[in-house]
Amino acid sequence: MAEKNKLISLDNVCKYFNVGHGKTLKAVDGITLNIYKGETLGVVGESGCGKSTLGRVVMGIYHPTSGKLEYEGQEVNLRKTKDRFQYSKKAQIIFQDPYASLNPRMTVGDIIAEGMEIHNMYTKEKRTQRVYELLDTVGLNKEHANRFPHEFSGGQRQRIGIARALAIEPEFIVCDEPISALDVSIQSQVINLLKELQERLGLTYMFIAHDLNIVKYISDRIAVMYLGNLVELAPSDDIYAHTLHPYSQALLASVPIPDPDKEAQKRAQVLSGDVPSPINPKPGCKFAGRCPKACDRCRAETPALREIRPNHFVACHLVQPE
Amino acid sequence: MADVLKIENLHVSFDTYAGEVHAVRGVSLHVNEGEVLAIVGESGCGKSVTAQTIMKLNPMPPARIKEGSIDLCGEDIVAASEKKMQDIRGRLVSMIFQDPMTCLNPTMKVGKQLTEAICQHRKLSKEEAKKEAVRLLEMVQIPNAAERAEQYPHEFSGGMRQRAMIAMAMSCEPKLLIADEPTTALDVTIQAQIMQLMAKVREETGTAIILITHDLGVVANLADRVAVMYAGKIVETGTAEDIFYRPKHPYTQALLKSLPTVETSRDEKLVSIAGTPPDLFMPPKGCEFASRCEHCMKVCKKHVPPTYEVSAGHKAVCWRLHPACPTQMKEGN
Repeated sequence: MAEKNKLISLDNVCKYFNVGHGKTLKAVDGITLNIYKGETLGVVGESGCGKSTLGRVVMGIYHPTSGKLEYEGQEVNLRKTKDRFQYSKKAQIIFQDPYASLNPRMTVGDIIAEGMEIHNMYTKEKRTQRVYELLDTVGLNKEHANRFPHEFSGGQRQRIGIARALAIEPEFIVCDEPISALDVSIQSQVINLLKELQERLGLTYMFIAHDLNIVKYISDRIAVMYLGNLVELAPSDDIYAHTLHPYSQALLASVPIPDPDKEAQKRAQVLSGDVPSPINPKPGCKFAGRCPKACDRCRAETPALREIRPNHFVACHLVQPE
Repeated sequence: MADVLKIENLHVSFDTYAGEVHAVRGVSLHVNEGEVLAIVGESGCGKSVTAQTIMKLNPMPPARIKEGSIDLCGEDIVAASEKKMQDIRGRLVSMIFQDPMTCLNPTMKVGKQLTEAICQHRKLSKEEAKKEAVRLLEMVQIPNAAERAEQYPHEFSGGMRQRAMIAMAMSCEPKLLIADEPTTALDVTIQAQIMQLMAKVREETGTAIILITHDLGVVANLADRVAVMYAGKIVETGTAEDIFYRPKHPYTQALLKSLPTVETSRDEKLVSIAGTPPDLFMPPKGCEFASRCEHCMKVCKKHVPPTYEVSAGHKAVCWRLHPACPTQMKEGN
C-alpha cells in the first residue's frame, strides 16, 4: 500500500435475496471494509460464502439491501440512474467464465469498444485506435479485433475480458475468479498481466478467488468470508504467519502443497461437514457448527470484527487481543 | 509387484467433420498393484481419453483405437466385446467422475443406485445387497447411512455425492479405480476430506488408483508415481519425488515453476509458459512442446525425441537428455 487513501468503503452492507416461502437468503450479511487506492484486496471463501455477491455489490450490479457504499468519500446511490452511470465509469469487472461473459455475436473490437461508446468517449476513429492499443496491452494483436469470441482459447478470451474492463479507464476493477476457468500454464500468464497492468496504470483490484496460493501472491490484504460474514481481514503476509480465526486456519491447512515431502509432514486438521445453507441461518457465530473450538457463547452471540493485532481484524470470541 | 494395468503404445483418434483428432498418440504406462498413479496435464492433453479408453467408455465411432494394447489383469481390453466389457466394468475397474452433480441418477434413491451395481456382479439377495449398500456408505463416512440410502441425490451436498460415487465405484472391490478429477468441482475443505477418504479406501482395500488431475497439490498428496501428459503423449514419468524434485522435461519444470506457493514473494514474477498447446488436428512434426519451450533446438522442431531413462523408472521424452547434448544445455533451467 503506497498511500492510505480510501477509495471504496463499505459500511454494514447487506444483500439479501428473497427465495420465496417467506425465506431470505442472506448472501452478504453486514460487511464493513475499506479498499485503499492502489492496493489489491483478496477475498477468499468457499462457494456460497457470498464473495461473488459482495463483488457485484461493490461493482454496482446489485443494490445492497441495506448499508452504504462510498466511493472516494461520496455515497454512491445505486438507485439513481445517473449515479450508477457515473459509477460504472470508475468501477469495472472481469468475470469468471471467459466463455459465457463475451457476446458470441459481437466482434472482439465491438465488445471492447462498447463501453467507450456508452460513455461517449472519443471519436469513432480514436476508439478504433484505442481498441488496437488495448489489444496490444493485453498481449493480443490488432488483427484479432475483427474476429469473434469463439475463435479464441480460454486464456485469450480472458485477455479480451480484461481489455474490455480497461477500455473506459476505470480506477477500480473487481476480478471475480478470473483464472479459475483456466489451465495452470495459462493462469500465470493472466496473473502476470494483471500485476503488470496494476503497476503501470495504478489500478485498484478486488480479487475474488478460492485458490489461496494465488490470492496470497497477488493481494496486499486478504479478507476471509464465511456464509456472508467477514471472519478475518489482515495484510496477506500476516494472515499466513498468524492465522487467528479457526476457519481461516482450516482453510489454509486444507490447501494441498505441490511438494510431496511437505504434504506428508502436514497432518491437516480436516474440517468435517459442509457449509450450511445461508437461508435463515441460526443466530450466533455461523461457523460454530463446524468449529472444533466452539463453545456455548459462540452459538448464542454473533462475534463482531475486532482489531486483534495492528491492521488484523478477526471475528471470533475465542481470539483475545495481544 | 504385478501389474494391474499395462498400456502399450496406445493411439486413440476421433473422427470429426473437421478431420481426425489425434487425442492420444502413443501412450505407454503401467500401474502396479495397490499404487496411485497420477496423470497430470492441461485440458485437452488426452488424459481423460486415455482413462476412458481403459473402460471403453468412448463411443466408437467416432472414437477409434488405432494402435496399441491394453492389458487389465490379463484381460485384453482392445479386443473385448461390449458384453465382456459389461463384466469387466465394476468388477475389475471402475471410475469416479469429475462432476458428482451430474453422474448420479436424479430419479433413483442413492441406496438403489448402489445395489444396482452390486447385483450386477455379486450373487446377493436383495436384502443382502441393501445391507451391503449401507455398509459401503458407512465406509465412505456418510453419517446416518441407513437413512441416507433412502434419499435422492439432490438431498446430498456436493461432497457427499462424491462420497456416494466412491462407494459405488468400490462396491465390487475393483482392482483398479480411475478417478477423473475427483476433487475439481469441490471446495478446498471438502477436497481435503475426499483426498483423505481416497487414501483410506486404498489402505483398506488395496486397490490401485489412477488419479487424473491438473492440480499438482493433489498429486503431491496422494500419488506414488506421476505421468505428465502433453498433447496426447506422456512426456515424463517417474516417482512423485522424481517429478517434483528432479523434473527433467521442460514442460514439467515450467509447470512446477508457474505455480505460486505460500512462500512465493509478491515481488517475484511468475514463470509462465508462453503460447497455447498445439492443435491436435495437425500435431506438430517434431516435439509437441517445441513451440513453447524455452530450450528449443533445431532438432526439436524436426524430429520426435526418443524416451530416455534418467534413472530407474524415471523417463522423459526430450532431446536435451541425448548423450551428445552439450551439458550446459541440459542444466539450463
